[in-house]
Amino acid sequence: MDYTNQIREIAARLFSENKIDVFVGYRMTGFDENQVPVLIRDPKEVPRLVFNDKSVFNLTNYLKHEHTRGKRVGLVVKGCDSRSLQLLLTESQVKRDRLYVVGIACEGVVDDAGQKYQNCQECVFPDAVVFDEMLGTPKGNGQYQVNADIRELASKDLVERRAYFEEVFENCIRCNACRHSCPMCYCAKCCIDQESSTLYNGANTTSAAFHALMTWSLHLAGRCVDCRNCEKACPSHLPLHLLHKWNEQVIYENFQEHLAGVHEGDRGAFYKYSLQDPDDFIM
Amino acid sequence: MNTEIFVTDKAGLATFYEAIIAKHETYAPVEKFGKYEFKKVSALSGCDPDAPIATTMSAKPLFFPRSAKIMKYTADASGTKVSETDEDPLSAQRVILGMKHCDARSLQVLDKVYNWDFIDTDYQKRRRNTVIISARCDKADTHCFCTSLDYNVERLDAMDVLIVNGADGKVYIEPRTEKGKSFLEGDLTHHMTHVRDNEEAAKAMKKQYDAFAGSFRLNMDYKTVNEGLSKIFDSPQFENVSDNCVGCNTCAFVCPTCHCFKISDEKVKDTGVRYKSYDSCNNGYFTLMAGGHNPRPVKYRRWRQRALHKFVYYKERFGENLCVGCGKCTRACPVNISIFEVVSTLPHINNIQ
Amino acid sequence: MEQLLVPMMCRIDKVIQETPDIRTYRLKFKEEGMMDRFNWLPGQFVEFSLLGSGECTFCIASSSTRKETFDCSIKRAGVVTADIHTGLDEGDEVGIRGPYGNWFPLEDLKGKNLLFVGGGIGLAPLRSLIQYCIDNRKDYKDFTILYGARTSADLCYKDEIADWRKDPSLKVILTIDKPEETWKENVGVVPKILEEVVKPVVENTKVITCGPPIMIKYTLLSLDKLGFAPKDVITTLEMKMQCGLGKCGRCNIGSTYVCKDGPVFTYEQLKKLPDEF
Repeated sequence: MDYTNQIREIAARLFSENKIDVFVGYRMTGFDENQVPVLIRDPKEVPRLVFNDKSVFNLTNYLKHEHTRGKRVGLVVKGCDSRSLQLLLTESQVKRDRLYVVGIACEGVVDDAGQKYQNCQECVFPDAVVFDEMLGTPKGNGQYQVNADIRELASKDLVERRAYFEEVFENCIRCNACRHSCPMCYCAKCCIDQESSTLYNGANTTSAAFHALMTWSLHLAGRCVDCRNCEKACPSHLPLHLLHKWNEQVIYENFQEHLAGVHEGDRGAFYKYSLQDPDDFIM
Repeated sequence: MNTEIFVTDKAGLATFYEAIIAKHETYAPVEKFGKYEFKKVSALSGCDPDAPIATTMSAKPLFFPRSAKIMKYTADASGTKVSETDEDPLSAQRVILGMKHCDARSLQVLDKVYNWDFIDTDYQKRRRNTVIISARCDKADTHCFCTSLDYNVERLDAMDVLIVNGADGKVYIEPRTEKGKSFLEGDLTHHMTHVRDNEEAAKAMKKQYDAFAGSFRLNMDYKTVNEGLSKIFDSPQFENVSDNCVGCNTCAFVCPTCHCFKISDEKVKDTGVRYKSYDSCNNGYFTLMAGGHNPRPVKYRRWRQRALHKFVYYKERFGENLCVGCGKCTRACPVNISIFEVVSTLPHINNIQ
Repeated sequence: MEQLLVPMMCRIDKVIQETPDIRTYRLKFKEEGMMDRFNWLPGQFVEFSLLGSGECTFCIASSSTRKETFDCSIKRAGVVTADIHTGLDEGDEVGIRGPYGNWFPLEDLKGKNLLFVGGGIGLAPLRSLIQYCIDNRKDYKDFTILYGARTSADLCYKDEIADWRKDPSLKVILTIDKPEETWKENVGVVPKILEEVVKPVVENTKVITCGPPIMIKYTLLSLDKLGFAPKDVITTLEMKMQCGLGKCGRCNIGSTYVCKDGPVFTYEQLKKLPDEF
């Protein structure tokens, strides 16, 4: 998967046609094989753009930043990234007419060892769902399956599960990189941000981490698109996807097979109502 | 020259580690979720003193806890009572194994800020009671640039005991401080060959250092960086180098020299605990004052503060760079921003303009 | 370090509602004899904590020459200050750490004319110095106090200002931003009144100013215009602080720790700092 040339052409064209103010893509770090997101404002910089299977970070994150707010933005999105973009559009966080979206029919991105990330191996929506222009050959959607990790987690009893998560939260250093990297976390004041928070103090205790991460993951229930920006950002390598995948599975099963950001205008699980919705938890 | 060296082999080194763990309170890198963190260990099998730098967190939390209890309080009808917490900030001697030299060096940098004016006695106590025993790296990682900063990596005295894995298969153990010297006295080194001013050993150690120093891909002249950055406070380039930062603070949390903290209360009814925990200047709330005034409301200003604090302000104030070249921030960065790239190219970019 | 961050408990002796959003808390240490050991000079600050809510930085608004109690004037602005206003009354207890920071250059001020320029809550640190200078009246020459606020209701320390006015050797000039029906004194922002009404003598005069950032900015410009040398203009800086000990890094401006090297700076010193405030 290498669309470097195509993306450079598109970016150059958009600048020359004066359709965008800034193009958000990837460039090489210059030190290793990894890539850095880059915000290009000067057409002269377009040749720095690259795109291949090391283009990992979900760029829709940048749509909440001061450098793209109110500007006309060109953006590269992979399958999962486009789902978060779809949600941002639905939640009125970005305006469609200000965006030029280069969709990728994604074949999966790889980690430092050249291994495809787990979410890419299990990916159900590899093709961009929002785009003005599509690169690559669409493969079509797969069938949603409950992730093996979640099946394993479900097989544990509550005590074991709790013990496992306590270990996870104990290792959290509360840097909040997960929430800052998340494309769907755009609240100006976040309840887990330490200083704006009245709910959770900034102390780095297991209980504070537990409450902060649980609240965060519940806020993302039915909105997480499994791009795993959070997990890749975590300096402690915590398996944060378990929180989100668990919620995803619960919501899929209970809310008419809802998956975040797949359909245009789909406002999310909590807006759906059907007489068939389970109500056995109501006393 | 008056150097004492203990010579042994790989097996002898393992025996040495085991003896230390059996005899002392020992901290070493322990693997958890694919990365290493310094934890108390009871057996050599549970830890890895040679854990790779790329996946090892800093040992900073052992000296500057991620969250330290400042005090507890209880309030009732008779008034409020404040008590210092029962947590003992370490009184017995402890040993840290596997602390890389950059990490060990960071403590010397931090000493400056903790020992000026108000003295941080807890930090000092932790420092005083800790013996750092660590092997010199054999190879630099992609993001390492410790040899570019202003300290002598080869003759570093930040570690009390230096271990060098010679290319000849021998292991050389050298005390670098008085603390290290007295620590090695006794039966810990009985199984080793004790040599003094030995040319052969010195040569082998030098050879290892040269191979290590030669493996660096990143090299810069810190003096140019200090000088260059000190002149470009108003440069618009700060905006360009920081626009892809997601503002997540991770760099500061993993940095062995970042030492900013915040104070926060945890309250349950009439009792509560006050904590001192890590904070970061990349956090938008860092300088937000009550009433809404914020001297650094936008990202590039916060980024500038971070870069300049590390390479200009701290140097001006305390005579050291607030960076040891460990590369932890770059490895942790979700978007792979390299502090090396930023600080080594920023002054340069500005010159071109 | 942790021990240094533990506050001493104080009891609130009196609460004075200065303006709709400013209250002065008169404090006294609970511990016997602590008041005698608590020595401060005008310009220094304390960390004031409402246990459970958090800590805030406030300057001490009274002089150490009147030492039975000490005052902190608190404007309702953020989360903690709102909690302080709603939660604290006479008899309640608060934690105090301090005093921290430097103080006004008292020796340099001796034998000089003093011009105090304050705005809003910014009179609080000046009040400490004014009280100190009044109590050591013979050391100083002419006193002029220019004090402004948005409205007449926003003027602090009204009773004390009335006392100052009884003293013929003190010149007190008040101003508010916009005209009000019952207001008979000056109307206009502080820098304007400074230039048009006060017209201070530059020679042998030291100016001490404190107020909201915007007022400071224009007052410094006016003082420049009037011919004051930057070294004769003294101000106290407002920066977010947390530890007060020169450790937590919050108040850094360049290599300066405002909590240690400040908060009192001359305009000359301020000019050398990176432009971050």
